[in-house]
Amino acid sequence: MATISTYLRNFKEPSKDQLTQLFFAIPETPPTIGKADKDEEPERMEISAVLTLSQDASEDPYPGKLYLLPPYLSFASLDRKSVRFTIPLCTIRRVERLNARAGIYALSLSLWHGMKIVVQLTSLRPTADLFCALLRDALKAELQRGQMKAVKGFVKTCYSEMLVSNTEEGKDAAAHKAEADVADPDSIYLGGLGLKFKYPGDPKKLREASKTKLWTTYLKTHGRNLTLLRYPQCTRLVQVGLPNRLRGEMWETLSGSAYLRFSNPGLFERILKENEGRTSTSTEEIEKDLHRSLPEYSAYQSEDGIGALRRVLQAYSFRNPETGYCQAMNILAAAILIYTSEEQAFWLLEVVCDRLLPGYYSPSMHGTLLDQRVFESLVHRCLPVIHDHFTQVDVQLSVASLPWFLSLFINSMPMVFAFRIIDCFFCMGPKVLFQVALAILKINGEKLLQIQDDGGFIHLMREYFSSLGESAHPKSQDPRARAITRFQELLLVSFREFSVITDDTILNERRKFRSEIVTSIESFSKRSAIRNLKTLERFTKDQAGLIYDALFKAVCIEPPPVAPLPPVALLTTKDGTEERPETRIELKTFKVFLSEVCAWARAEKIVSNGFQQRVDREVAEHELIDRLFFFWDTSFRGALSFQDLVSGLNGVMFNDLMENIEWFFNLHDKNKDGYLTKDEVLTLSESLLFIFRYEIGDAYLGAVSRFMSNAFEYGDALLPRPESSDGDGDIPHIESNQPYMNLATFRMVVLADEILESFFETDFSGTFRLEPVPMMEIPNSNQGLLGGLWHNLVSDDNRKIFQKVTDEIGKTIGKHQVLYRPAIGKFTTLEEPKARESLLTPTMRRSASKASLDASESTPDVSTPPTVPTLSTSSSHLTVDQPGPASAISPSEFSPMPSMFQAAANAAALMERTPFAIDDAKDDDEESDDGSELADDGVMDEVDAFLEAHDSGLTEAERELAKDLINAEPVK
Amino acid sequence: MSFPNPAASVKLVLLGEAAVGKSSLVLRFVLNDFQENKEPTIGAAFLTQKCTIGERTIKYEIWDTAGQERFASLAPMYYRNAQAALVVYDITKPASFIKARHWVKELHEQASKDITIALVGNKYDLVENDNDDNEESLRKVSIEEGQGLADEEGLLFFETSAKTAHNVNDVFIGIGSKIPDTSASSSSNNASNGPNHEGGRIDLSSGNSSSQPSDSVH
Ligand SMILES: Nc1nc2c(ncn2[C@@H]2O[C@H](COP(=O)(O)OP(=O)(O)OP(=O)(O)O)[C@@H](O)[C@H]2O)c(=O)[nH]1
Ligand SMILES: [Mg+2]
Repeated sequence: MATISTYLRNFKEPSKDQLTQLFFAIPETPPTIGKADKDEEPERMEISAVLTLSQDASEDPYPGKLYLLPPYLSFASLDRKSVRFTIPLCTIRRVERLNARAGIYALSLSLWHGMKIVVQLTSLRPTADLFCALLRDALKAELQRGQMKAVKGFVKTCYSEMLVSNTEEGKDAAAHKAEADVADPDSIYLGGLGLKFKYPGDPKKLREASKTKLWTTYLKTHGRNLTLLRYPQCTRLVQVGLPNRLRGEMWETLSGSAYLRFSNPGLFERILKENEGRTSTSTEEIEKDLHRSLPEYSAYQSEDGIGALRRVLQAYSFRNPETGYCQAMNILAAAILIYTSEEQAFWLLEVVCDRLLPGYYSPSMHGTLLDQRVFESLVHRCLPVIHDHFTQVDVQLSVASLPWFLSLFINSMPMVFAFRIIDCFFCMGPKVLFQVALAILKINGEKLLQIQDDGGFIHLMREYFSSLGESAHPKSQDPRARAITRFQELLLVSFREFSVITDDTILNERRKFRSEIVTSIESFSKRSAIRNLKTLERFTKDQAGLIYDALFKAVCIEPPPVAPLPPVALLTTKDGTEERPETRIELKTFKVFLSEVCAWARAEKIVSNGFQQRVDREVAEHELIDRLFFFWDTSFRGALSFQDLVSGLNGVMFNDLMENIEWFFNLHDKNKDGYLTKDEVLTLSESLLFIFRYEIGDAYLGAVSRFMSNAFEYGDALLPRPESSDGDGDIPHIESNQPYMNLATFRMVVLADEILESFFETDFSGTFRLEPVPMMEIPNSNQGLLGGLWHNLVSDDNRKIFQKVTDEIGKTIGKHQVLYRPAIGKFTTLEEPKARESLLTPTMRRSASKASLDASESTPDVSTPPTVPTLSTSSSHLTVDQPGPASAISPSEFSPMPSMFQAAANAAALMERTPFAIDDAKDDDEESDDGSELADDGVMDEVDAFLEAHDSGLTEAERELAKDLINAEPVK
Repeated sequence: MSFPNPAASVKLVLLGEAAVGKSSLVLRFVLNDFQENKEPTIGAAFLTQKCTIGERTIKYEIWDTAGQERFASLAPMYYRNAQAALVVYDITKPASFIKARHWVKELHEQASKDITIALVGNKYDLVENDNDDNEESLRKVSIEEGQGLADEEGLLFFETSAKTAHNVNDVFIGIGSKIPDTSASSSSNNASNGPNHEGGRIDLSSGNSSSQPSDSVH
């Protein structure tokens, strides 16, 4: 099996616009009404602004940037983290220009949920005017699309609406309502399996009621779901853990998957419906794992949970056939489904797999490998002592850390804690995983310096994770300090000490190591492709490697169409052996491949223009190449696999004279009846002419023309004659598509000519050559401005331009010269062709027709001495301007693992996963809510612990002004 | 410090297609337990277990790897320097036997030269009650096929059931008896050869292969 993916090479760094879009979690292609008005794409614009929240005087004004990204409006404060929002334009109910002090340009926006925000545009007047005009247009467009109505339906599905409306009806009723609500059939807010099967963890310990209260207050003043404004308090509340019922919705809002659900209503159901009953490799793999996903959680012991999980994973795999399904996604989806509906989980999964953890779950898992490399580099930078120790004892970080990243800690620590990390992950992005992972190492630093091998490392981590619920300072005098759990300590260290790790850090590091990872993945796939060949035939492994390289290059240049993987069942052959999906190339790609390994399948122009000499290589087109493609397609699939190519080349590269003649004969014997028809003889001659097209001199041309005349002469002579007719009768008539010439005759005709004989003896096989393929460089994005400029200059296109220019100059100064390099290159001088005397015996000649006698007259002088063959120039001389052959990366040898006796290691092994605390599950409402002061509850303490000084960066006067605006009158 | 009778450590790795029962075999061997719905292994799991064979005590350091195809590129990280390997397939799933063949090939090419490999056909309990004339047998890979591959490649061969514990300990005892004493303890000495500091440590290439470009064929 060999699946060749060039996806990794085609990767492009996101543009600045795309990065902005990613930052604000805006869905990739904003759904436009029709493709027709695509050219009328709404304009984007960004502008400096100061944001003030009208109703809540406790929130400072924040300067930052306002982005119009139709159909969304976004804002980020200067530090890009304190305050931000992304709101669909259709949730803006009213925009007013404020009548404030002279020279101040401010807008007041009324949002769906009743909040009012004021944005003071601090750019120059014309810029601000332009922004307003664009905003007006964009709002109008949304109005026309009727999106406002969609908002109404969408917010109904959100639990936050219920929370807020309950408190508005009076505090006393709230508790009652919440309880009644579960059974209330009118309530349509979405929830997860937890609603029915309980949530993991003890709600009292989780302080659910207090958290819910804090959130209710926040959501009332700062908007919710589609209109959530994120102020520092929001992040802090997330860091102390989301309340269970609100969790799913907040994940969706914070990660931005809500925008996907909002803009693609009904898509999830539609995908399932359209693919009903369809099976694929992915669906079979999913089926295997359904009962193996959080099996301790009771929902996954019943059809409720299993069915939901199946639908979410299948829908994802149908929508993203290239990623399909990867183990770990089942655990992730199962965890998410405890808190969200299927549709919400589906979109969350998409955001995780596509945007937050790109490439983690892809078939090559390159994202996972890349981030492990990034993590290692961050450890090297932030915790050099630990890094050095690990290097010294040869312990690989990723043996422990890979599952942390891949399953978001769900598999590594008790679930209640993993969910808290996931809260932060959805709120603050993938950097959280790195921050937490670094903090884990830092906290365990002392002990890590004692470990001696991979096993010790894993043991230590497992012990640590199972102790996360314990006090971090059990011996402290201060009861407050004693109350801090190890988990709280972990988060504090993560966000305080590793706040230096930002999104940009991660992006930069990923850029740095990308090509390294791509190279190692590619060389791994190459090795396994070679290993998995059914037969190497007569090639060595290294030679097979060269064939693979040529194939890989061809696939890069001319990608085969992506076929969705067929279901496993279809691949099963009668004898029960199963084939795996593998890359097969079609004719188009095959031509490129063949041009790499076969001299006559390419046109090589040697161009000299006085400045440089170079070889321009082009893929040749000829029926012969098509013929070869179908000749090698022995299983009649219309596409060739790596194995087909290896076997095909094997059939032609090791042949001696007789085998070559036979091979060539068979290639042209289309119906494989052992005879060529007259048409096929002609085609064969054309094939020869094609192969000889760039040879110097007339020798080959002559050989082919002699071949043709001899072929028809002998062919006719050997035709069976009707018994009745006399020896000198007419040649029997034969249709051009009837069997005409067998192998023996063909062989005789070929051997009649010295040039053809020597061609089939050695030259033909020699036109096939396996050479290191000058590989295209992996686009390395790790360049500064200068590097980038240089890279642009040496891009293929520019190289072509450069060459064109030099060619033109060369022409004008008369130095431009183009030569086609011959495929064989035996004759370097224009020597006269020569041929042996006809092999026809005198008796045969006598019986031959007149026509053949004519032909024999044209046989040239036999006395011409044979030409001394000149060896072809080695191709390497001429490849002056090509990048050097990419030498295969020699695998760095793994050195033996040191294994010291561990005193601490005991024989009893632990389970690999800390069992999770579902047995503690109790109902939320158990916790008494009466009069428990929030401060005493400790939640606020914890919130305070995360309090970071957030200086908005405004002067006192500016702050005054911003506050003033709240009371300003709209312009009439 | 001196240790009373330190057990020799043997690094053992389990390879094989997803859901053939690798983790279950380890669970049976280490805790003598079985779980009907075992979660898939993500990356790899690490466990240890001591095993006494006659006079010797071996401490197995077991790396249980993930089976899904796309995790295969991570496997070298786990089988590097392994002295023993269990290549597991499910006797009711022919595809898993093909995959086992691939793993054996890969180990022979990439792993330590003197690695001891056992081929293990798991889920024997599913075919235990088959009579000879039972037409609807779940068995899809015959003992002969398994034994054949083992003979061809010089492997130990067992059919096991993690569910009923059939033959499970025998696998580990079998491996232990085949591993020479010296090799088992030498793992700690090897460290002096110096670890590899070069380049990225998530290196998919491992072991002793070389993929230098070679001369072209003429
Ligand atoms: N009947 C039977 N079922 C088994 C046996 N061993 C494992 N299973 C079941 O097969 C499924 C997969 O077992 P695992 O041990 O998780 O398989 P694995 O090879 O570790 O799978 P991955 O971690 O995904 O590679 C589980 O549902 C087990 O209960 C066995 O001997 N007999
Ligand atoms: Mg497993």
